[in-house]
Amino acid sequence: MLRYTFFRLVQAAFVLLVMTFLLFMLIGMMPGDPVENMLEGNPALTPELARQMRELYGVGVPLPVRYWHWLTAAFQGDFGFSSLYFRPVLEILGPALLQTLKLMVATIVLSIPLSLLLGAIAALRPGGWMDTAISFFAFASISLPNFWLSLILIIVFAVQFGWLPASGTPLADNPSLGLQIYHSILPVTVLTMFFVGPLLRYVRASMIETMSSDYIRTARAKGLSETTVIVKHALRNALIPMVTVLALGFGMLFSGALVVETIFGILGMGKMIFDAIRYVDFNLALIGLLLATIVTLVSNLLADLAYAWLDPRITLK
Amino acid sequence: MSAIDTGLAGIPSAPRQTIWQLRRKRFLRNKPAVIALAILVTLTALCVLAYPYSLLMGLDPNETNLLMRFRPPTATHWLGTDSLGRDVLLRLMYGGQVSIAVGVLGTLLTALIGILIGVWAGFLGGKVDAFLMRLTDVVIALPMTPVLIVLGAVDLSKLGLSQALASSPGVVFLRIVVIIALVDWTTIARITRAATIEVRQREYVKAATVSGARHLYNVLVHVLPNITTPITVAATLSVGRIILFESTLSFLGFGIVPPTPSWGNMLTNAQELIISAPALAVYPGLLIFLTVISVNFVGDGIRIAFDPRSEK
Amino acid sequence: MNALVEVDNLNLHFPIDDGFFKEKLTLRALTDVSFSVEEDETLAIVGESGSGKTTLGYTISGLLTPTSGRIKFGAALGGHSQKRPVQLVFQDPFSALDPRMMVGDIVAEPLRLQGVSRAERLQQADDVLEQVGLPAESARRYPHEFSGGQRQRIAIARALIAKPKLIVADEPLSALDVSIQSQILNLLNKIKRDRTISYLFISHDLGVVHHLADRVIVLYLGRIMEIASRQDLFATPSHPYTQALLESVPRIGRGRRKPGQALKGEIPTPLSPPPGCVFHTRCPRAQEVCRRQIPELLPAPGRPEQLSACHFKD
Repeated sequence: MLRYTFFRLVQAAFVLLVMTFLLFMLIGMMPGDPVENMLEGNPALTPELARQMRELYGVGVPLPVRYWHWLTAAFQGDFGFSSLYFRPVLEILGPALLQTLKLMVATIVLSIPLSLLLGAIAALRPGGWMDTAISFFAFASISLPNFWLSLILIIVFAVQFGWLPASGTPLADNPSLGLQIYHSILPVTVLTMFFVGPLLRYVRASMIETMSSDYIRTARAKGLSETTVIVKHALRNALIPMVTVLALGFGMLFSGALVVETIFGILGMGKMIFDAIRYVDFNLALIGLLLATIVTLVSNLLADLAYAWLDPRITLK
Repeated sequence: MSAIDTGLAGIPSAPRQTIWQLRRKRFLRNKPAVIALAILVTLTALCVLAYPYSLLMGLDPNETNLLMRFRPPTATHWLGTDSLGRDVLLRLMYGGQVSIAVGVLGTLLTALIGILIGVWAGFLGGKVDAFLMRLTDVVIALPMTPVLIVLGAVDLSKLGLSQALASSPGVVFLRIVVIIALVDWTTIARITRAATIEVRQREYVKAATVSGARHLYNVLVHVLPNITTPITVAATLSVGRIILFESTLSFLGFGIVPPTPSWGNMLTNAQELIISAPALAVYPGLLIFLTVISVNFVGDGIRIAFDPRSEK
Repeated sequence: MNALVEVDNLNLHFPIDDGFFKEKLTLRALTDVSFSVEEDETLAIVGESGSGKTTLGYTISGLLTPTSGRIKFGAALGGHSQKRPVQLVFQDPFSALDPRMMVGDIVAEPLRLQGVSRAERLQQADDVLEQVGLPAESARRYPHEFSGGQRQRIAIARALIAKPKLIVADEPLSALDVSIQSQILNLLNKIKRDRTISYLFISHDLGVVHHLADRVIVLYLGRIMEIASRQDLFATPSHPYTQALLESVPRIGRGRRKPGQALKGEIPTPLSPPPGCVFHTRCPRAQEVCRRQIPELLPAPGRPEQLSACHFKD
């Protein structure tokens, strides 16, 4: 187990390194002059520093060399300044990451019981009308453009009825938890709608499989009530591999968060990355994307480890 | 069969049903899939008819008319006009052409990349396989939308294209197709690889190898024709995903750019007008939703119809 | 007789690459295998599953590359043939034929790979199909329209069309119904009468081997235990493993039954074969020397043609 963990860590670190290079290259291909852009946000800019930066990153310096300069600086903790916010990149991205994680955690906390409940109900009578309705709901969930759902919810609940705020960020300086939740209702609803479909399809499939297995038949033969059979045996069995599905959905959820944050004006990672690319802020975009990659890599890693740890049938290579 | 059977007896006459007839029958019995297919065909037909319709009604999808802004539905403008006085229905039809074309072309390119990588990894195995599958894992681990946005933001003139060419509608369209295919090939690659590994081990491939067949021969003659089923299913499902990718990108301003209409970028505009003209936000999204859910139902229908376990 | 194939000291070891950190394991599929296939002979290879029979067949047909040792073709072919005049017939007649190809194209495939034109090769396919007892119209049908026995005939036709000198038949009967088995067996015999061809007949069914083989090789854990003519092997088996195999077939071993001869236990894993004689863990005659020293393949007492690898052979 330890050896496996170590191996996966090394692998993830390698992937991350490759990603830094790819992203560095791609960001450099956005419109505009990277050097000017990287310098712009630095309040302590001197002509001397500008000259130095041009030597390190300027026109004519080959890509691998530029990358190397950037990487060594990054390893010393220098991630540069944002040209949009005139502040060090990490100072901006820290709170943004927290904001996005809040959004994602709320979505996951809502999605798990919802998908378990719907998946279990659907699996009770495969082909029955409840199953058909829930399956249709799942199809709708994976087919809905989440930006459109956001707009429609805003039109209905914010514009028409005025029940809920169209903005995901409270205006108050130190908003209370209640106010934060109030403003999060619409964004979290959109993300949950988007996330619950794949999850419940998974729960349904794995429940149907377990329900027809031998040990469920044994449990029934022992005279256990149907509820006990479902909750204690089938559902529990479906939970283990769900860890993997959840973690693999993390990247997807992050993508969804980007769209939702942009529409609801939530200052999270997604909106930061979006603005950084839209208004060409090289440093912010690069570090934002790297952070997003790290988050998905870590979640995949945790999922693999959790799966290996939970499921004794997997022998670790 | 009797013991004196020489093998001459019992040669079957023509089979009653070919496998394709059987699959078609199974598909047609799947009501949601058939309805979804009908919706798709209708939508596609409507979008294809955009040009004749514009001639018939004397409309232009891109001509702005500030005197005709935000008109309610009339006899000429069945769904009214938008913020620049253009006919909404006509723009929806043209936008649909773009979305559906991206979906189909993107899927073809995705399938091409996925099949090449999947067959390569699956047939050769060993180190090549290990490398390609790690690569697949990496791409799967990426947060798709942010990566697509970066790819969409790449300044093509930095890649040596002239400014005029880089912003021509044709290049913009192709670029969407390419960048979506660059991130979406992983599903088909994985499915192709698994199917290839299964076929590679079959004995008819061994027999051909003993007779002197090279890898390329085996792949073209034996492997590809035998893995079309899983690839077809995966490709159908990816049409829906790609249409969603395209509309998201266009909505965020990194896809199809105005004045060329697409369902995605029509919503960008509508977003700013949700108070004055909420209806404009309804139609394009509804059409995206209807198209994607129909594609997904059709894909699911094909999957069930092709699955030998659903033989009944 | 002329040797068609000479197999000299063949070894086939698969390294098991188990990730980064584990020590490398080696699967010894074949060890020090030497024998020859004569022209126009049926040589049977028998052994339990896991003995390396199929691996040996694949190696001789060129599907697997030996780790060391040589497979030399062609003392009987003038010694200059680069291409192996070998064809394979498989156990499972269902996965042996490409379901997407018409039978005519399946049978003609070896000619296609030699560059013969389509018209010419389909003509030949019709002829060969007739020789294996199928009507020529079969060529325009698909494999799923045929029964198991008919499919095996198609597979045999495909093997014959390239006029091979050797057919490696890997348990060609064991997936078929008993009534069909005898038909295919008769077909193989008929082909043998009509042309000069050798069979390497891989089987675990000693009854079939008794019916068909000229000579027999007994394989255990990738090593040859015994090589003998059919008569010698069935009448006076020399190796205790051969005796145990015969013992487990009542029809053939009758009259020689001694108590305690039946095989005990399972075949050990080829990942860590026992030291010394690989058979000693299951051998009723095992002594101290068997645990230490690998017995050489040497003639049995008084029977120079019957080779046996045992310290205490009969």
